[in-house]
Amino acid sequence: MTAFWTSLAIQLRVDLRDRGTLLVFYLVPLVFFFVFGGVLASLNPLMKDTLAATMTIFAVTMGALLGVPEPIVKMRESGTLRAYRANGIPGSAVIGVQATSAFLHLLLVSAIIYLAAPIVFQARLPQVPLAYLLVLVTFIVASIAVGLLIGAVAPSQSWATMLSMFVFLPSLLLSGIMFPATMLPDVFLWIGRVFPATHALQAFYGFAYRSTTEIDRTLALGVLAGIAVIAFAGAVWRFGAIRRNEKD
Amino acid sequence: MNASPEPIVAIRALTKRYGAVTAVDGLDLEVRRGEVFGLLGPNGAGKTTTLECLEGLRTADSGTVLVAGLDPRRDERELRRHLGVQLQSTSLPDSIRVGEAIRLVSAWHRVPYKVGLVERFTIGALMRREYRQLSGGQKRLVHLVLALVGDPELLVLDEPTAGLDVQGRARLHDEIRSISEQGVTVLLATHDMAEAEQLCDRIAIIVRGRVVVCGTPQEVTAAGHSETRILLRTANGSLLPGSDVGAAHFVGAENGYLEWTSREVAEAVTEILARVQRAGDVVDDLRVARPSLEQRFLEVVTEAQQ
Repeated sequence: MTAFWTSLAIQLRVDLRDRGTLLVFYLVPLVFFFVFGGVLASLNPLMKDTLAATMTIFAVTMGALLGVPEPIVKMRESGTLRAYRANGIPGSAVIGVQATSAFLHLLLVSAIIYLAAPIVFQARLPQVPLAYLLVLVTFIVASIAVGLLIGAVAPSQSWATMLSMFVFLPSLLLSGIMFPATMLPDVFLWIGRVFPATHALQAFYGFAYRSTTEIDRTLALGVLAGIAVIAFAGAVWRFGAIRRNEKD
Repeated sequence: MNASPEPIVAIRALTKRYGAVTAVDGLDLEVRRGEVFGLLGPNGAGKTTTLECLEGLRTADSGTVLVAGLDPRRDERELRRHLGVQLQSTSLPDSIRVGEAIRLVSAWHRVPYKVGLVERFTIGALMRREYRQLSGGQKRLVHLVLALVGDPELLVLDEPTAGLDVQGRARLHDEIRSISEQGVTVLLATHDMAEAEQLCDRIAIIVRGRVVVCGTPQEVTAAGHSETRILLRTANGSLLPGSDVGAAHFVGAENGYLEWTSREVAEAVTEILARVQRAGDVVDDLRVARPSLEQRFLEVVTEAQQ
């Protein structure tokens, strides 16, 4: 276990030196929050109420989908994972450290947004902060699991970017964080329900803000947890298959 | 060399296929403790696959592999304590610092961070450098240090000097010699014949997944069909136009040099010099060129591929 924590501490330091990591986990989400948070709140004053949740969903989705898969695919392509394994570092530990560091980054950026939203935009704080934290943690885990799955199935970095965008863009447009999902045609409304962001927003509304939801809040949280389990299981299975293929 | 006969690597009838291609075909090999052993062979001969099978990074189709008494398929975790590996194609994250990489590998080997290792390889100045800032030679050196972090009994190096400049190569050769002097067994795959001759106590030439020759570089070279070349130029050209001399077969004359080939070099040279003396002539230049390992390698590979 000591080795894992040493690895995590080193990974966090490496992340802080890596411009790409800082961009996708912090810089872009926070710039988006400070610039577009104000715009969205002025266009639709109702959005101000749940600004922390919507901007957090954007930040987590971006960090997990654009920040998690690419380094994993790069490590596979460049031979870093093999080099680690040859030096006695299990591949599962490397992936575990990547996921844990991503979790900590996303938790931190979410905390910044949570604390800044009421100060900068006079946004309403959730009525049930503990429920907010529960939904947030579930959503971060689900998003990272999807990021890991993309990292496991993408054969190259360009594929990883494409697959990430394939999930990231509809998550923004169809989940209801930019504008109410009820404004969408039915077909897009249903497509939007494939993505964790949609269920995270509903779970935040239902559990943390105690407001009305389009999907049952418990169902939304359940779907979020289900996505986390299925995506994580898929990623584990796929990484196992990659390792077996490398050995054959 | 302090090699004892006990093998640290014992490979029997190792076979590995990739689809229809047989990369390793019933290969037998033994590496003794304490020696520097070189695997030579043309591209695609099966060197890297053989090394990967003994490193536990690839599963053999059949045959047995024992490394320090361990089966890499069953005992991969335990094997890592005995084995240091530098892969042919290898990398680290761009932003990781050299010191962090060493600390990371030390943690997983459950050994303390070794300042001595850093001092021995004089890489103190690199400790705060990020991996992306290192030159090719420095990266190779760092991977060599990482392979040594766990105090391995066996160090496996796959083409350790490929792509390095002359200085980088010389430095790495010095380090490999120094590692060997500490009692670590070194198994290296290389294309560089000079490297094999300089570093290795024994070598094996692999062709089409089989060991075709094994022995010391001198033994392997001497077992060839090539004969030693003798070249002579005298002040008055007294032996011209040239003919067979005792055990030396006359090949021809060019630019004032007469050339013979012979297996009995001492006898042939003595007889040639005696003839020069009898003719009242003086030797300007005498060259004896023994067949090189490279010539022998080409001979072996050509024969095996026919």
